[in-house]
Amino acid sequence: MNISRREFIKLVAAQSAAATAGVLFPGISFGAWEKLDLSSGRIKWKKTPCRFCGTGCGLLVGVAGGRAVAVKGDPNCSVNKGLCCVKGYHSIQVLYGKDRVTEALVRKNDKLVEVSLKEALDLVAAKMKETIKDHGKDAVAIYGSGQWSIPDGYVASKLFKGCIGTNNVEANARLCMASAVTGFLTSFGLDEPMGCYDDIDHADVFITWGNNMAEMHPVLFSRMLANRKSKGHIKIIDFATRTTRSSQASDKSILFRPQTDLAVANAICYEIIHNKWVNWDFVNKHVSFHKGKTNIGYGIEDHFKFKDKAETVDFEQFKAFLKDYTPEKVEKISGVSAQDIKYLASLYGNPDKKVTSFWCMGPNQHTRGTWINNLIYNIHLLVGKISTPGNSPFSLTGQPSACGTVREVGTLTHKLPHGVVMKEKARQLAAKIWNVPVTNIDPKPTYHTVEMFRALDRGDIRLMWIQATNPMVTMPNLNRYRDGAQKEDRFVVVSEIYPTPTYDIADVVLPSALWIEREGFFGNSERRTQHNEQITPTPGNTMCNSWQLIEVARRLGYEKQFPWGRETHIEDIWNEYIQFHDNPKHRMAPYKVLQARSGVQWPFVNGMETKWRFNPKYDPAAKGEGFDFYGKPDHRAWIWLRPYEPAAESPDSEYPFWLNTGRVLEHWHTGSMTRRIPILHRAVPSSYVEINADDAARLGIVNGSKVKISSRRGSVKMPASINGRGIPPKGMVFVPFFDEKYLINEVTLDAFCPISKQPDYKKCAVKVERG
Amino acid sequence: MEEKPNHKADQKIGKVFLVFAGICIVALPLVVFSAITYAPKEIIAAVLETASFDFDHNGKTIFEKYDLISDAYLKSTSTGRTLSQYYSRRQYPGSPPEIPHPVEAHGITLGCLTCHASGGWTESLKKITPVTPHADLESCMQCHVRPVTDTLFRAIDWRSIPPPRLGRSHLPGAPVPIPHDLQMRGNCIACHVGPGTVAAIRVEHPSRGNCRQCHVPDLQVEPFRR
Repeated sequence: MNISRREFIKLVAAQSAAATAGVLFPGISFGAWEKLDLSSGRIKWKKTPCRFCGTGCGLLVGVAGGRAVAVKGDPNCSVNKGLCCVKGYHSIQVLYGKDRVTEALVRKNDKLVEVSLKEALDLVAAKMKETIKDHGKDAVAIYGSGQWSIPDGYVASKLFKGCIGTNNVEANARLCMASAVTGFLTSFGLDEPMGCYDDIDHADVFITWGNNMAEMHPVLFSRMLANRKSKGHIKIIDFATRTTRSSQASDKSILFRPQTDLAVANAICYEIIHNKWVNWDFVNKHVSFHKGKTNIGYGIEDHFKFKDKAETVDFEQFKAFLKDYTPEKVEKISGVSAQDIKYLASLYGNPDKKVTSFWCMGPNQHTRGTWINNLIYNIHLLVGKISTPGNSPFSLTGQPSACGTVREVGTLTHKLPHGVVMKEKARQLAAKIWNVPVTNIDPKPTYHTVEMFRALDRGDIRLMWIQATNPMVTMPNLNRYRDGAQKEDRFVVVSEIYPTPTYDIADVVLPSALWIEREGFFGNSERRTQHNEQITPTPGNTMCNSWQLIEVARRLGYEKQFPWGRETHIEDIWNEYIQFHDNPKHRMAPYKVLQARSGVQWPFVNGMETKWRFNPKYDPAAKGEGFDFYGKPDHRAWIWLRPYEPAAESPDSEYPFWLNTGRVLEHWHTGSMTRRIPILHRAVPSSYVEINADDAARLGIVNGSKVKISSRRGSVKMPASINGRGIPPKGMVFVPFFDEKYLINEVTLDAFCPISKQPDYKKCAVKVERG
Repeated sequence: MEEKPNHKADQKIGKVFLVFAGICIVALPLVVFSAITYAPKEIIAAVLETASFDFDHNGKTIFEKYDLISDAYLKSTSTGRTLSQYYSRRQYPGSPPEIPHPVEAHGITLGCLTCHASGGWTESLKKITPVTPHADLESCMQCHVRPVTDTLFRAIDWRSIPPPRLGRSHLPGAPVPIPHDLQMRGNCIACHVGPGTVAAIRVEHPSRGNCRQCHVPDLQVEPFRR
């Protein structure tokens, strides 16, 4: 062992200090972790957004001796104001799992073997060339992530859409945020919330729609609780399909039958009109009425196509449409008492109360996801409670950069960083900034995520590159898509940080640098862009996803489009990317400003962030009096006539239970990161199936006993949880999806919202038996 | 000839005025420029949004709480809770500790604060309860979790800095500096006074409520240099 003089002195100092401590305080062992030597005691604090959910908390990471050693909340970040959740406080431990992927791997004789990074990148490039030559450009695809740093998604889009010329670019945000996007686009013409988290400090009433915020957005939830505690009059209403921690902490918990939120939302509108609570001044000036197609299907079959058609109607037609949704009629559909429906309507209708609605996966992972998003906006628009502090229909995100990388960069098949591929002007702008011929950019979208995996199964796609996500745990109807990905002549490249079920099916694994091991940007739920510098060294041969893509792009002959240097490429990419958004509706902050601040909200115009869009008081792009919904050509927000339609698959005599899936506070996404964090794994070491005590008693199931859950697609055996953290109503079971040992997505259904193409992970029919 | 000095005095005033005018001419564009770039909303927002975790912002609450504590509580001794137990529940100095006793799985606030806001004897656990330094935050399970197993999913190479050494007075007999961050831990008496505290860090003079009069933070930052 070689020890330098300096290290030797450090070592001696550490040992003597430890010995002294032992003498002074006999019997005291200092802590349960391995210590760095004492000279590393000087901590430097560096800011970064958290790696996990879409809340986008600011963290300060303590660095000593080249390692991340501690975390505290960033008091300068207005998202969390110095407080984190248990995942954030322990987030840095995700860097140090002993099974970290640090070298490139290539499958040889059905085994992944270590190779040089150069060999792996050469192979990826060669395979891409070969596949394009043999099967055409639309036979290669990239599947990215809302956990992609913004430059990663940007480079992927530029390479695939701009250079190769295929629209085979999708990201896992299709599985989590697509209905939010189509909801925004159909109601307002522009994506992402008009309000911001400051609404929490202004609202009098919070109504959460199918959203267990106490576990999924804990920092925002405790901010609501803190407001309630200090102000006294604030009400939190939990409107959901199962009883959770959020229900416990709320003032009132209202349960509805799965899918019937559509009917209840319409009933609330009926009540608002019936009781003359409509804000006519607002509606007359700022709202127009529209209807679309009905009986729109579920996308269960391959090659499913749907295109909505908007038809302008008037208020009277809207009122007539609502006749089917009286509270009494909806009580029968939804199981929510007419009294509770009237209560909800009265909260929205009370002109003296500021109301904020929150939702996330409940309304988004929904075969009528676009519709339920529209319907919540309808309620807020009828009473004019929008775009002012505290009045906010607020769609939350689940991933740290679902907004930043997927929705803003547009890493979806139909999107470009600005506009859609179908529009010539958008293609021209992209071609100009990307320095490619405009003919490179294909005007026809190809596959959305579910259809992309179907295409891989069918053989229309032969090569897929997966970055920063774990589809072999998260795809619904998983058996089909895993079998498809493993077929002969399919080539799967996986950029990963740890072994996962997706890594297991890879032909090439590229070792990725993670989070604070590289410079990057995230964009959170409230239009906030957050920069982090590289804080810790990259381990082994890991490389950030952007640079992996650039290396392959250069091998494919696109040096001209990817000219950046290794040291400065993140800043260079940012400067190129923000040209796409250089208008007052979406201007992004310059690099230097992002570097200095704990996040900046766009539109960033004349040095000012925009907290509330569409309101001229706060938004420089909005003109005139009152409000300006400038996303739509008529400068109005659109109320949509959207009916209640049943789920794709409902319980029947053979499969009598609803299956609902989701998360727990301790684990995030597929648990490939959080399960490697000791305290989080030790708190929730395994997944389980929550079952109602009455059902359990009837089926002879006790707490912890094995339960077999089966659907028409697959089955899983897992331990039961009765009266645990969450309690489903009779006739429903709930399973957290983080655990790769119990792949609940082998059971779920790949039906999706025909408008957003986002699958519904919350509803399918299953059989429950003692296992 | 009496005019002359007056004349000189006038010149002097004139010179002063000229210099002043000069300064004004130079300063005017600067004033105008700063007025243009002045962003009052942003500055006010930045000031208001700064979270007040520090002792200096929460001083009133802390002193009021202190006034409510009985003399008997202040002087009572600990249950023998040790520093090693204290750190065994943490992943690094300052991390939120895990919950060391059984909790009902259901619910969120769980009534943690019933015991942990003010301390005292808990019959069911036969223990004196330690007090939280941030009783204003009530969503406890957001940060504190109850481990149900000792095993890990995969091994981890986790290291952090050593906990601060105790008794680091800068001069013999001088008051010890505060060796930890004060964010979320600005209420000294919660952890350093009373029966539920760790013996090694309990103060011997609890009746002196104004801790920061003698104890100042020493956060191991770079030494001061002019």
